[in-house]
Amino acid sequence: MTQTRRRWGAAALAVAAATTLAACSIQIQSAPDPSIPDDTMLIAADTGSPMMERNFNPYLANKRVASFYIYEPLVILDNVTGEEFPWLATGYELPDPSTIVFTIRDGVTWQDGEPFTTDDVVFTLNMLKEFPATDTQGVWGYIASVESDDTTVTIHLQNPDVPAAQLIATTLIVPEHIWKDVDDPGSFRNPDPVGTGPYQLGNFAPQQYTMDKYEGYWQADKVAAEHLILPGSNTQLDIATRGYDWAYSYISDVDNVWVGAGNENTYWFPPGGTIALFPNLAKEPFDNLDVRQGLSLALDRGAVGDAAAEGYMDEAGQTNILLPYQQDDLDPSIPNSGLIEQNRDAALEAFGRAGYTLQGDQLIGPDGQQLSLSITTANGYTDWLRGVQEVQRQWSAIGIDVKVSTPQPAAYQLALRNGDYDFAMGGTGGTGSLFRDFNSLLSTDFLKPVGEEASNNFERYDNPDAQALLDQYKVALDDDERREIGYQLQQIVYNDLPVLALYYGGSWGLMSNAKFTNWPSADNPYASPKTYESTPLIVLTSLEAVK
Amino acid sequence: MTSVTAAPRGVDADPEVDEKTEAPPSRSGNPWGYILRKIGLFLLTLWAAVTVNFILPRLMPGTPADAALARLAQNGPVSEATKAAIEAQLGVPTGNLFEQYIQYLGQVVTLNFGVSYTFYPQTVSELVSTALPYTLVLVGLVTIIAFILGTLLGVLAAWKRGTWLDTLPTVGGAFMSAFPYFWTALLLLFFAGYVWRLFPTSGAYGPTATPAFTWDFFVDALYHAILPAVTILITSLGGWILGMRNTMIPTLGDDYVAFAEANGLKPRTVALRYAARNAILPNLTSFGLALGGVVGGSILVEQVFGYPGVGYLLFNAVTNQDYPLMQALFLMITLSVLVANFIVDILYGVLDPRTRR
Amino acid sequence: MTTTRQPMRDATQDIRTVQPTGAPPNPWQVFARTAGTIWSNGKARLGLIILAFFVLLAIFAPLIAPYGATENGFDRSADASPEHWLGTTAAGEDVLSQLIWGAQISIFVGLVAGALSTLVAVLVGLSWGYTRGFIADVINFIVNLFLVIPGLPLMIVIAAYLSGGGIGMIIVVVVITGWAWGARVLRSQTQSLRSRDFVTAAVFSGERPFRIVFREILPNMTSLIVGSFFGAATAAILAEAGLEFLGLGDSSIVSWGTMLFWAQNSNALLTGQWALLFAPGLCIALLATSLTLINFGVDGISNPRLREGKQR
Repeated sequence: MTQTRRRWGAAALAVAAATTLAACSIQIQSAPDPSIPDDTMLIAADTGSPMMERNFNPYLANKRVASFYIYEPLVILDNVTGEEFPWLATGYELPDPSTIVFTIRDGVTWQDGEPFTTDDVVFTLNMLKEFPATDTQGVWGYIASVESDDTTVTIHLQNPDVPAAQLIATTLIVPEHIWKDVDDPGSFRNPDPVGTGPYQLGNFAPQQYTMDKYEGYWQADKVAAEHLILPGSNTQLDIATRGYDWAYSYISDVDNVWVGAGNENTYWFPPGGTIALFPNLAKEPFDNLDVRQGLSLALDRGAVGDAAAEGYMDEAGQTNILLPYQQDDLDPSIPNSGLIEQNRDAALEAFGRAGYTLQGDQLIGPDGQQLSLSITTANGYTDWLRGVQEVQRQWSAIGIDVKVSTPQPAAYQLALRNGDYDFAMGGTGGTGSLFRDFNSLLSTDFLKPVGEEASNNFERYDNPDAQALLDQYKVALDDDERREIGYQLQQIVYNDLPVLALYYGGSWGLMSNAKFTNWPSADNPYASPKTYESTPLIVLTSLEAVK
Repeated sequence: MTSVTAAPRGVDADPEVDEKTEAPPSRSGNPWGYILRKIGLFLLTLWAAVTVNFILPRLMPGTPADAALARLAQNGPVSEATKAAIEAQLGVPTGNLFEQYIQYLGQVVTLNFGVSYTFYPQTVSELVSTALPYTLVLVGLVTIIAFILGTLLGVLAAWKRGTWLDTLPTVGGAFMSAFPYFWTALLLLFFAGYVWRLFPTSGAYGPTATPAFTWDFFVDALYHAILPAVTILITSLGGWILGMRNTMIPTLGDDYVAFAEANGLKPRTVALRYAARNAILPNLTSFGLALGGVVGGSILVEQVFGYPGVGYLLFNAVTNQDYPLMQALFLMITLSVLVANFIVDILYGVLDPRTRR
Repeated sequence: MTTTRQPMRDATQDIRTVQPTGAPPNPWQVFARTAGTIWSNGKARLGLIILAFFVLLAIFAPLIAPYGATENGFDRSADASPEHWLGTTAAGEDVLSQLIWGAQISIFVGLVAGALSTLVAVLVGLSWGYTRGFIADVINFIVNLFLVIPGLPLMIVIAAYLSGGGIGMIIVVVVITGWAWGARVLRSQTQSLRSRDFVTAAVFSGERPFRIVFREILPNMTSLIVGSFFGAATAAILAEAGLEFLGLGDSSIVSWGTMLFWAQNSNALLTGQWALLFAPGLCIALLATSLTLINFGVDGISNPRLREGKQR
């Protein structure tokens, strides 16, 4: 017996010890590796699984992220501000809505010293046509033919389509003199990449690789970091403790964990898209605007955003425009910048118009049944799940029976495409192109009946007026005209509620001012803080070395 | 045995060998008939396992392209063209299920599983051959160490029954083997890796090293393997201790042990030479199965420590619906468990004459 | 149990052999005797006390827990304080309350999945052990198949297939992947009992095979079945935690497994919230240990030599 009591005591002691230890939390301190010199930047951009394959083919999904620092596009589109940055092209013009003329930058060389010419651009585009597996942006869905002279590349489109220019302009260009000998660019691993970008591949090991500055870069004077180090493993613990200069990662309690770790850490989380609930408009009663209005008014979007992103992201306006950085595009006539406040009475009134009344604590419809719906979100997308749980709470409070379904990502994707849901969480907007933001959301071109796979317009919104506006946008060459059409598209989203915008999805930029400064920030929002795709080129050519 | 409950858990350890109590070769009959029947059953099980491996991934809703798109869609809308390009890159399965099955059987026979979907354009054999050595060394060595250490402690516990030498390993072993793998791994990682900075926190070797047969690389790799190894050891040791203790105690009561003692043999000799030798037999079965399961790696541990073994690969393959990779890995694991089972069966006959008949 | 006669040890026999005393024993007598034997074992007693503690915690969670399991709105990632003894989660929930409520799911999954997989194991194992020839081969084949397919990956595939089913799904997954081992153990025991005199007597008296298996043989394997139940329940608790941790379960419910998932997800170690990681893991370990410890007592019933206290 005494033995038992002693063991029991030991167990109790362990629990007590655990409780006491819990009381004193451990503040992790950032400890940069002293062997990394001041001119070298440690970036958490690439992730191995867990090893990294030496694949720098910019057209493959499994490429190394640094491919974006090696290969450059004609124009970079920043998705936070929607601004265009002329890059390998000094600019482009549309003499008519079916023709795009790019003027190619002079004095650019490939990293092996060969000059960059218009032929490279033509070659790249033609290669994408010949090997459709490499055409990840689908530019040949728009292009009819390509021609060039010494300084310009002229693209003839299949149909008038002004916004397609932006899409084509962001294609990464590869050197003809190397890629013309590649048999199948669709499976080529490109282990020794040669691009026009600011960085060349240095040492490559499966768990970490380095990049060295290309001294012949066309704006070499603007590149502050001489070397980049990209480890293949960047857990949150690594990021907080290893003294990273730049990382793209969501960190819980970032003020305490990242900023609190020292090393002059700072962060900027601008909106990178709108997280929204897609109603299934092909299903009753969600095809009823009054019901959608009731649902929309019953939401406290601020609380949903807080729950999802731990208070780091704002509620989103019902306009599909990212605020505050795309304020210029916003229709000023929309009240309160498109933010919809929670209003229980107004919600019940809207439900009343659709025949739903609150009886006891249940919202009963015309058929005598409680309004009941399920929300589908992907398993593992924890921020979405937190948001959905908050929505569930809020809608339950107004008498709706809300279920949450969390299939695996692939199954979720399938449900979304097939219209096999009541409400689904999803991202909308945030491409940087106003046209694409609205086109993928509203265009009837994507319309498919429930049960067939739609590639966009998952909510199955069928409004010819919206399509007419999108068609007008395609041929509008005048900025003011385009802005006006944009206003009308926002009105449609605001009034017709094809989606219920909830909160902004963040771009989780973590930076350190210890070695480099002039990072994009709320005060100086010159580009997205993300470490992948082409916008890092803007950041890498804007930074200043501290020492 | 890659399951969460990888090592046979103590009292649950079944001292029974596969097929052992299967009707023995009838004394009058031909032993070859028995062997042929066993081989037939082995092949049939193999075929069925191969077929299940084919069906399982296809049961999952959505295609590999959906899985890839779901990842991309987190960053914004995905265009029709992107989907088409990704499907073209992945070479998403074409043909009806029967054609796919025939193609798959051909791959099984030639051991050529084609290109992985998740890690396109890497081939399955490339991926498996990179991951396998790390898992074999890490999980294999730890399994052997755990078995030896656990068995010795089990013998000790049984021999010194009722004393602290019994209570400590048994209760401690039961407690440790009840730790969830990943939890132990996370705690070790946090304290030994980040707070005290004693050990590296991820990878199989230093970030700038490249695998080579050198002393430096060996030391480096060993250093990186310590935390994952300790995790597996902590969580699997208990099972072996309890298993050995429980088969050892009844043996100690057997007549021949008493007889040996009566003949004046030293207690230690009796314990090790006679009792333990007989008691270890049932545990060999579990050990064989555990060794067979080694190629499956340890998903949760490799996951937490970012260890580039088969378990990590397997998890990636399953969550990304990478049919070719999944099929190859499942086949490899199934095969090795089956073969290990087979070998243990034969070994058992060698070690225990009574089963030979 | 002094009437028990130990057979000559035979390696082909399961060690947990109960010597039948002829007629099937009265179930209540068996139960009382079983409970008594288990309680008399010190380790098992400790296990029972721990198990009882967690069961009571689960049952009275609504009374004990200071807050609701998903009640949020408190400070996020707060340290321990008089209001929140173990601090709060990154979503602003009370960790202690989650821990108490979480006991419900973990115990429920453990007991239900353990019971169901034991049930399947008993049905399959006993019929397998009693039949001979073709049917036995077929069952053997199926059981072997389940034993060789890697467990956790199989769980992951099934979980993906049944996704969104909540704890029901987890129970199904655990049962599908967990019954085969028990079936094999029970089968070998059935086989060894089949040749005993009392079974032969029943056969000669013209009893139907079904009755022989479930009325004559089954009662003699009570302790083995109880043992495999505790084993299966332990495995189920750990499997639930593993699945939830990998994010393959239903992360909207509150169980110890999902707590660990969220702890890892919001990097509780970094935010200093390490009670959030430490406590659920410790609870899982204690609960699973308690079942293993009880099994020491159960072993003692089936094999008196494994009983506590007696030196050889």
